[in-house]
Amino acid sequence: MADELVTVTIDGAPVSVPKGTTIIEAAKQAGILVPHYCYHPSLPSPAVCRMCLVEVEKAPKLMPACVTQVAEGQVVRVDSDKAKKAREGVLELLLINHPLDCPICDQAGECELQDYVFQEGRAGTRYSDYAKRYSPVEDFGPDVLYVPNRCILCTRCVRFMEDVADEPVLNVSERGDRAYIGISPDQRLDHPWAGNVVDLCPVGSLISKDFLHKARAWELDKTASVCPGCTQGCNISIDTRDDVVVRLRPRPNLEVNRHFICDYGRMNYRWMNRGDRVEAPLVRESGRHVATDWDTALDRLGQLVRGMSGSAVILASGRASTESLGLVRLMLNRLSVTAAVQVPLGDEAPLAGIPDLALRRERAPNLAGAEILGYRPDWAAGLSQVPAAGLIVVLDADLSDAEQAIIAAAPGTVVVLGTVWPEGLKNAELVLPITNMAEEHGTYVNRDRRIQRYSQAKSQPGMARPAWWVAGEVLGGPGPSPSAPATAAQAFELLGTRWPAFAGLTHSDIGYTGRLLDGSRDPSAESQRVDMGVV
Amino acid sequence: MGYPHQSHPKENPVLSKHFGDPEARTYDGWVKRGGYQALRKVLGMTPEAVVEEIKTSGLRGRGGAGFPTGLKWSLMPKADGRPHYLVCNADESEPGTFKDREIMRWTPHQLLEGCAIAAYAIGAERCYIYIRGEFTEPFRVMAQAVEEATSRGALGSNVLGTGKRIEVILHRGAGAYICGEETAMLNSIEGKRGNPRIKPPYPAQAGVFGMPTTINNVETLAAVPHIITRGGEWYKGLSLSNPKSTGTKLISVCGHIQRPGNYEVTMGTPMRELIYDMCGGMRPGRTLKAVIPGGSSVPIMTAAEAEDCLLDYEGVVAKGSMLGSAGMIVMDDTTDMVYQIWRLARFYAHESCAQCTQCREGTAWSVRILERILAGKGKQEHFQLLLDLSDNMTGKTICVLSDSCAAPIVSGIQKFRHEFEAYIQGAREPAMAAV
Amino acid sequence: MSTAGMRGGGETGQGAGAAGAHRGVSEHGSAHGGHGTETAPYERVFRGERLAQLERLFTLYPTKQACLLPALWMVQEERGWISEPAIGEVAEVLGLTPAFVKGVVTFYTMYHTHPVGRHFIQVCTTTPCNICGAEEVVKALLAQTGCAELGATSPDGRFTVIEVECLGACGFATPILIDDDFIENVTPEKVAGILQRYE
Repeated sequence: MADELVTVTIDGAPVSVPKGTTIIEAAKQAGILVPHYCYHPSLPSPAVCRMCLVEVEKAPKLMPACVTQVAEGQVVRVDSDKAKKAREGVLELLLINHPLDCPICDQAGECELQDYVFQEGRAGTRYSDYAKRYSPVEDFGPDVLYVPNRCILCTRCVRFMEDVADEPVLNVSERGDRAYIGISPDQRLDHPWAGNVVDLCPVGSLISKDFLHKARAWELDKTASVCPGCTQGCNISIDTRDDVVVRLRPRPNLEVNRHFICDYGRMNYRWMNRGDRVEAPLVRESGRHVATDWDTALDRLGQLVRGMSGSAVILASGRASTESLGLVRLMLNRLSVTAAVQVPLGDEAPLAGIPDLALRRERAPNLAGAEILGYRPDWAAGLSQVPAAGLIVVLDADLSDAEQAIIAAAPGTVVVLGTVWPEGLKNAELVLPITNMAEEHGTYVNRDRRIQRYSQAKSQPGMARPAWWVAGEVLGGPGPSPSAPATAAQAFELLGTRWPAFAGLTHSDIGYTGRLLDGSRDPSAESQRVDMGVV
Repeated sequence: MGYPHQSHPKENPVLSKHFGDPEARTYDGWVKRGGYQALRKVLGMTPEAVVEEIKTSGLRGRGGAGFPTGLKWSLMPKADGRPHYLVCNADESEPGTFKDREIMRWTPHQLLEGCAIAAYAIGAERCYIYIRGEFTEPFRVMAQAVEEATSRGALGSNVLGTGKRIEVILHRGAGAYICGEETAMLNSIEGKRGNPRIKPPYPAQAGVFGMPTTINNVETLAAVPHIITRGGEWYKGLSLSNPKSTGTKLISVCGHIQRPGNYEVTMGTPMRELIYDMCGGMRPGRTLKAVIPGGSSVPIMTAAEAEDCLLDYEGVVAKGSMLGSAGMIVMDDTTDMVYQIWRLARFYAHESCAQCTQCREGTAWSVRILERILAGKGKQEHFQLLLDLSDNMTGKTICVLSDSCAAPIVSGIQKFRHEFEAYIQGAREPAMAAV
Repeated sequence: MSTAGMRGGGETGQGAGAAGAHRGVSEHGSAHGGHGTETAPYERVFRGERLAQLERLFTLYPTKQACLLPALWMVQEERGWISEPAIGEVAEVLGLTPAFVKGVVTFYTMYHTHPVGRHFIQVCTTTPCNICGAEEVVKALLAQTGCAELGATSPDGRFTVIEVECLGACGFATPILIDDDFIENVTPEKVAGILQRYE
């Protein structure tokens, strides 16, 4: 049945879609966005905002595009006078009690009410004789404020909590124009995925405390990325203002996280802005670490690696990219390497309404990638090899004082590739500044072995470079090395020579919705092109 | 009959024959009056034959929409292993309408028998009767009747000894006009806010608790035993005008009329006869100004339209309104139309469920505009604004509550514009303080 | 099911003010969540006979949730109004969340979210009754009960009067509902006599 296609014409454009598709989704495929508020592709449709009314030939009334299924030969008009007039009518009514406080509203610039009113609303109000409804702001939860005056009662938030989070703590209270979004006085909007109501709210009614008055939407640069919070690999956008990360938001990917991210992931960005970074390569000379240039540092590292024999240990962060983990591993190819990846553990927090979506216990976004590359999540085993190793490479691992003490006492040579310098490692031969994931391009492999790309969202501090670059330069040999990879994409292509899982794959194959490894040609990849993720 | 008045010769009391007779409320009293014979007869028929008989009768839904009852029953899926439900709509809340209340108060077994027959016809073992919360007395009477009918074996697990199970459960509403909308009623029974649902799916596919459901009005179900007893052809013959409107109809008459009450007339009876003969006409010295013929949700008729109107589905439509639930609000020349239209708009604004934008905001805004006009602050632009809003509230929402708010406003402006003008131009004293 | 006319319980109207929520259109600006507050420690409603009654109801519906309206009626019969703790209790016995229950409570106008007087008077003033003089009946009721305004409770705690939409007895204008007693054909002249019957 899903394969049975129905052809309809929407604003003159013919489009063929599977039977059962709604007009609003069919229109998206024809490149037409039907204005809407209550509809959301990841929520059940109540058809209450009445914004998506469209003209359907032969139907006596305008039809809600969000719940009306296409029929063969149907002719739909989104831009007809009748449909536009209906939308104008809805917009006029949504605005009568709206405070028009866009200048102080965080949603301004990305507000669907603002956008549609600008697009096709009335220029002025006819509701001039009356005081507007006023209700004070309410504190709904750890990160959510409710501004009732801006609410258009689309009920996306209520449906998310009820149908997706399966924890109905929000309601519509009262009725008629007295209605508002309510919460029980003894309940909080503190579900681990509750923050999504802020993204779902099409207007500035549910807002994030964390983002409150931090930036205007038009000042933000948005970068496609992957959440570094756990092995789920939710697709995100890193939003920066003046090179500072100010928020993380979900980026739709129907195969991984639909339209959602958890609150842990959402709030897990402050480290991206850390100020106490290593900004220049440091070499140890006469017991002191002195800053130097990359040529000097790389020569020193090259000599060390080439002069070494025996065993080496790599202690890597679970947030390191596939490219960095792989090239560091390749750099030590001649040695007998024990590679460990750090996997902090936390509580699992599933999102009930979406299968296979959870904040995972393993808080390491590239655990699966690391394992393909020969890193083992047995941290203790890795540490136990430290005293016997000739070379110890710390790849941005987050080390406790005790762990630092073990490494500091080891007789082997210690090299740190780090965003910060673990202060206990006084014996580090080299401390090389690397970028964090927000400052580089790279890939992570999630728990389903889906490889996903993330892009550089902010500039690197000082002389920091991606770890794969450092390793690549060493691999290229002493002195200027034209064969060394210059981009993450080139670094990635080197992995295929050693690890078959990556053979033949390129960054551009992976795209921005990812790709399952193991050769399975993911059928979802195609369907994602016609982006059902559009909200 | 025109309870609380004596029956008028021009009436045709079938459903209302025993109104006012306390003995008819009891099981024995009802049986003595021929009650439960139709149910006994039906239990010997196939459900399909029952549906056919109702189709033959031409009975149409008495709640307002006038959908053919036999056809509605036939839309229920055949026995498919899922439970089927009958829901009786006793949420009578439409201003001007009070017929179902009298059916329940005086002839509860008439309704229960109709429910049992309908349940049998659609393959339901359970019938929920949703009675509005304010109907305390009808609820008590019905509760007593259910108990009696169950203990006497007319309802329950062995209906009239046939082994058939038909249970009737009374469900009390709690103050929400919109629960009279059938899908809102289903939500209310399920323990939710009474929000109307989007159709499809239709209740026959997925109704209460997601199961196939038929929803019938009290008066519709009360007519069923009579059709079974006397035959669909007999019922079909009760028609004075249009053959698509058959049977008798209870007309609730209220407002400025000598004898308000329920009058049961044959479909097609002239409204003039109802008003002037059966109801005794206007109060002394007063003349008819307007009639809202089908409960408050339909367009207002002028006196001339009303006096020339035939009381059936088509006859009222021909005069620009609708028969609806046949609650007739009669207004004489003392009526301030603007004030009463405002009062109706306020009703709808109060009852809007808050789902659809046009209804939630449009009804409330309409009220405020009418308040401005009544306060002497009206402007000429308010006419266009009210008409624009009404247009915006018509045909654009999930249910027809906002359409119902618009109907009296639009027809009021069309037919009684001068009364609005009088307020706007200051020719009439303001009826309220400015808000 | 829920026909008992008794309106017992400890709470009487302790100056609930204009109890809100009964008449909507003119109430803009009232703060959200305007719910009455319970002063005494909460005693559960669903114990003993009430619990048994509720459990009998469970057998009449395929879901527990369907018993929400009847359960709320029971609470109101016991306590006179539906407090926040009562909402919590109902939610618990039916396996719902308090927020869900509150959304339902505030939808239906017959559930009181504030304490009301010993006798609760609802007067229909919708069009059919309005043209027959219902507003005069309202005035008479306010004057003779001592209620300062619609929705307010009289100082002696005896009465609360509210205006309601159509009571469905338009041919018997003006109908009023005092507690569960439905009284037809009320005129201002009859008000005093009627009130006498309610202590």
